[in-house]
Amino acid sequence: MNILGNVVEHYVLLSALIFTIGSIGFLVRRNVLVQLMSIELMLNAVNLALVAFNRRHVGDMNGQVFSFFIIAVAAAEAAVGLAIVLSFYRLKQSVFSDDADQLRL
Amino acid sequence: MHALEELFPASDFTLLAFIVLLPLIGAAVNGVFGKRLGRQAVTLMGLGAVFVSFVFAVVTFFVLKSHSGEGESPKLIWKGWEWMKLSLAQNGGSTSLWVSLSVDALSGTMALIVTGIGFLIHLYSSKYMEDDPGFYRFFTYLNLFIFSMLVLILGDSLPVLFVGWEGVGLCSYLLIGFWFGEEKNAAAGKKAFITNRIGDFGLLVAMGLILYYCGALDWAGMEAARGNLLSQVQIWPLGDHVPLANILGDSAGAWLNTPRTVSAATLVALFLFLGCAGKSAQLPLYVWLPDAMAGPTPVSALIHAATMVTAGVYLMCRTAAIFVLSPGAMFVVALIGGLTAVLAATIAFAQNDIKKVLAYSTVSQLGYMFLGAGVGAFTAGFFHVLTHAFFKACMFLGAGSVIHAMHARIHDTDASQDMRNMGGLRKYMPYTFWTFAISWAAIIGIPGTSGFFSKDEILLKAYSSYIATQSSVPDGFEWPKWGGTLLYALGFAGAIMTAFYMTRLFIGTFFGEFRGWTIVKNWKAPAHEHGHHHHHDPDELLDGPAPHESPWQMWVPLAVLAVGAAFGGFLNAGALELFHIELMPLDHFLEPVFEKAAANVRVIEGGEHLLGTFLGLALVAVALGAGGAYYVYVQMKGEPARAFTEKFPGLHRLVFDKWRVDELYEETVIGAVDSLAEFGAWADKWIVDGILAKLSSFLVRAAGSLLRQLQTGRIQAYAAVMVVGLGAVGWFLIAPHANAKVVSNHASGAYSVTATPGLGYSYRWDEDGDGKPDSETFGNKNSVELKLDVDKRRTVQLEVKNAFGQVATRSFELARPKPDKSGLSDRAPEQPQPARPGAPPPGNQLPPGHPAIPQGH
Repeated sequence: MNILGNVVEHYVLLSALIFTIGSIGFLVRRNVLVQLMSIELMLNAVNLALVAFNRRHVGDMNGQVFSFFIIAVAAAEAAVGLAIVLSFYRLKQSVFSDDADQLRL
Repeated sequence: MHALEELFPASDFTLLAFIVLLPLIGAAVNGVFGKRLGRQAVTLMGLGAVFVSFVFAVVTFFVLKSHSGEGESPKLIWKGWEWMKLSLAQNGGSTSLWVSLSVDALSGTMALIVTGIGFLIHLYSSKYMEDDPGFYRFFTYLNLFIFSMLVLILGDSLPVLFVGWEGVGLCSYLLIGFWFGEEKNAAAGKKAFITNRIGDFGLLVAMGLILYYCGALDWAGMEAARGNLLSQVQIWPLGDHVPLANILGDSAGAWLNTPRTVSAATLVALFLFLGCAGKSAQLPLYVWLPDAMAGPTPVSALIHAATMVTAGVYLMCRTAAIFVLSPGAMFVVALIGGLTAVLAATIAFAQNDIKKVLAYSTVSQLGYMFLGAGVGAFTAGFFHVLTHAFFKACMFLGAGSVIHAMHARIHDTDASQDMRNMGGLRKYMPYTFWTFAISWAAIIGIPGTSGFFSKDEILLKAYSSYIATQSSVPDGFEWPKWGGTLLYALGFAGAIMTAFYMTRLFIGTFFGEFRGWTIVKNWKAPAHEHGHHHHHDPDELLDGPAPHESPWQMWVPLAVLAVGAAFGGFLNAGALELFHIELMPLDHFLEPVFEKAAANVRVIEGGEHLLGTFLGLALVAVALGAGGAYYVYVQMKGEPARAFTEKFPGLHRLVFDKWRVDELYEETVIGAVDSLAEFGAWADKWIVDGILAKLSSFLVRAAGSLLRQLQTGRIQAYAAVMVVGLGAVGWFLIAPHANAKVVSNHASGAYSVTATPGLGYSYRWDEDGDGKPDSETFGNKNSVELKLDVDKRRTVQLEVKNAFGQVATRSFELARPKPDKSGLSDRAPEQPQPARPGAPPPGNQLPPGHPAIPQGH
C-alpha cells in the first residue's frame, strides 16, 4: 500500500472537524466576509475527505478530479460572493448579514 | 297569370321568399350604409323595398285567388331548408322542422295589410321624420319590422312564426325607445319588451305541448293531428299528492288531493292565448301598449295599431282548429276580450293626450277582435283586424299630422300631444280633418263605414254564436246560457263608450276655437328640459306660425287609408243581408281556412233572425255615445264633464291614473321580483361574498401570517433549518432499519421473509422460532424460506446491523390457517373472487403478498 496505511480515519476526522468549524462559523457569525471564509472552510473540508478516500481506490482518480472541480467552482464562488458583498456594502453601508433582509415584506 | 303560375308553382312558390327578403335587404343596406347614403337614398331604399314587397304580395294574392276554385283551401308553399330534426316523445319517432313559408287566404290578406299599410306609413314617415338625426336608423328598424312581421305571417310552422314574433317584439322595443335619450321612452320600450316576454313564455309552452301531443309544428300537421289534443291531462296535484295537505284536516286534504284534469286542448289554447294576450295587449298584459306611444307616431300607427298588435288575433285565427276543441278556453278568450274592450274604453274617457286616447282605443278594439274570435266568429274577428288597420292607422297618422303641426308651434312633445292645446284645427288642416272624420265615423260605427260592418258583426256573433261541447272532450265545459248576453252586454257598453270618447277626441281636436295660442293652465311642464324645447309660462302668448296642413307625403297616406276606412266594410258586408244583398267576398275567401274550426261553432236558436234587431241596437249605441259627447262637449261646452270631475274627484283621479293597474303590478309582480332580487343581492353580499369569499380569504390570510413568521429573511436562519434537516437525514442513515417483506402462500405452506437492503447492512436470523439467533455472527443472508404445516404458526426474528455496529430487531409472525371446511376455499381457485379493498379476508387469513403484521422489536 503506501505510507499512509490505514490512517484514512484521521483525515476523515480532520475533515469532519474543519467542516463543523466552517458550518458553525457560518451559522453564528454575522459578518458576511467571515461567512464566506466559513464556506471556503467547508468546501476545503470536503476536498480533504475526497482526496483521503481516493487513496483507498488505487488507480481511480475520480476523487482528486472532483476536488479540482470544487477548487475551481469555489474560486468563482468567492469572486461572485465578494462582488455581492461589495454591492451590498454600497447599498447598506454594512457587511452584516442581518441587514440583508430586503426580501422580507 | 298563366305564365306566373308556371313560373311559381303552388308547391314551390319562390315569390314568398322575395316578399320576405326584400325588406330585410332594405334594413341591411340602410343599417350598414345608411349614415353615408344620405336621406334621399335611405328613403328610396326603405320605401322601394316595401313597395316591391307589396307588389309581390298583390301578385301572390291574385295567384292565390286563381287557385281558390279548386275545392281544398288553396295554399302556396315555399319550402326553404330543413331547420332541425325533433325527436318525439310519444312514439319515439322524429319530425323535421323546415324553414318554409306558406300563404293561404288568411295570411295572404294579412300580408296585403302589412305591406300595403306598411308602405303608406313608410311614405308618411319620410316626411314626418325628415329632421330627425336618426332618420336612417328609423327606416332600418321599420324595414326590419316589416321583414319580421312577414315572417310571422308567412311562416309555415309555429317556430318560424315565433322567429317573426320575437322579431317584431324586438323592432317594437327599438322603435318605442327610438328617442332613447329620454328616460321615459327607454323605460316604455323596456316595459313593452318585458311584458311581451310573459306572453312569449305562454307561446313557448304551447309549442312544446303541441309538439308533444300532435308530433308536428307546421300548420297542416297540427291540424291533421289535433284529435290527439282531446286526451286528458292531470294538472293537479303536480306530484303524487299535495305535500302537507292533511294538516288542513282530512276532508280538506282529500279535497286538495283530488286529481283535476283538463283536456290537452284547453291547456294548449290557454297558453297560446297567453302569448296572444301579450302581443295583442289583452288583460292582464295590456299595460305596455299605452306606454308604447312614447315612440314616433308612425310607429304607433304601424306597429301598435295596424299590424303587430293584431298578430295575436292572427295567431288565434291560424290555430282556430285547436282553439275550438276547448269551449272553456274559447269562453275565456271571449270574456277577456270583452272585459278588455270595456276597461280600456273607460280609461280612454279621462285621458288628454291624443295618442293615449288612441292607444286605449286600440286596446279596446283588440278586445273586440278577441271577443269575435272567442265566440267562434273568426272571420268577423279577422275582418275587424282589417278594418281596424285602416281606420286606426288613419287616425294615428292623422294624430301625427296634428302633432306635427302643433309641434311646429309649441316645440314640446308632451304639450303638442295634449288635446287641451288643440281645437279648431278643422280650419287649418282640411285634409287631416276630413280623413280623421271618416276614420271617426268608422270606429264609432256610422252605418256604411267599415267599422260599422266589422264591429256589428262581432257584436251579433257575441250574442248568437257559441262553441259546442264535444262529447269526447273530458272537460265537460258547457257554454253558459247567459254567456251570449254577458258578452253582448260588454260589447254594447264598449260600443257606447267608444262612440263617446272618440267623439270627445274628435270635437276636442278639430272643432271650437284653437287653444294653442297660449299654453293651457293645467298643463304640466315636463320634468326635464332638453335641447330646443323651451319652457313656457302659462298664458304666455306663443310666437310661431298658425297650424298648417302637412305636406303631400303625409296626407296622401291619410287619404288612401280613409278610403279603406270608408269602403273596406263592403269586403264583408254581412249587414246588407237585411236588404237581401249578399256581399261577403272576404267570408267566402276565408271560408276554407276556418272550415275545420267552423264545424264546432253553433248558432243559438233563432240566431239567424236577430240581424235587424242588433243593427238597431248598434245604432242606438252610436247615437247614445256620439250624441252624449256632442251634448257634453259642444252644447254644454264640457260643463257636465267638469261637474262630474268636481263631484267625484276620486273616481276621476282613479280613471285618469288608468285604474292604477300599473301601480298594482308595481306592488305585486314587480315588487315580488324586486324582493327576490334583493334576496339574491343579500345572499350574494353575505353568503357568497361574506362566507365563501371573505371567510376563505381570511383563512388563507391567517395561515399566511402564521407562516410568514418563519420567513425571517435572514440567511442564517434558513441555513440553521437546513442543518437541522441534514442532521435528521444523517440520523436516519446512521440508525439501522429492520424491515422485511413477507410473501405467504397459504395453499402450499411456503413462506419467505426478505429483509430490505441498506448501506452496509448485515443480517442475523432466528428462523426456527426458538427465540435465539441461529448463528453468532451477522452475515449477508438477507432472506429466509420456510414451509409450514396446516394450522401451525412460527415467529421469525430478524436482526440488522449497520456499518456503525448498531443493531435493530424485529419479529414476524407467520401462520398457516386451516382450509375452509365449507369448501369455499376449494372452489376459490376456479372462481376467483376479486378481493374487496378494506374488507377482511375470510378465516382471518392474510392474502398472498400481504406483509405480516409486525409484532414489535
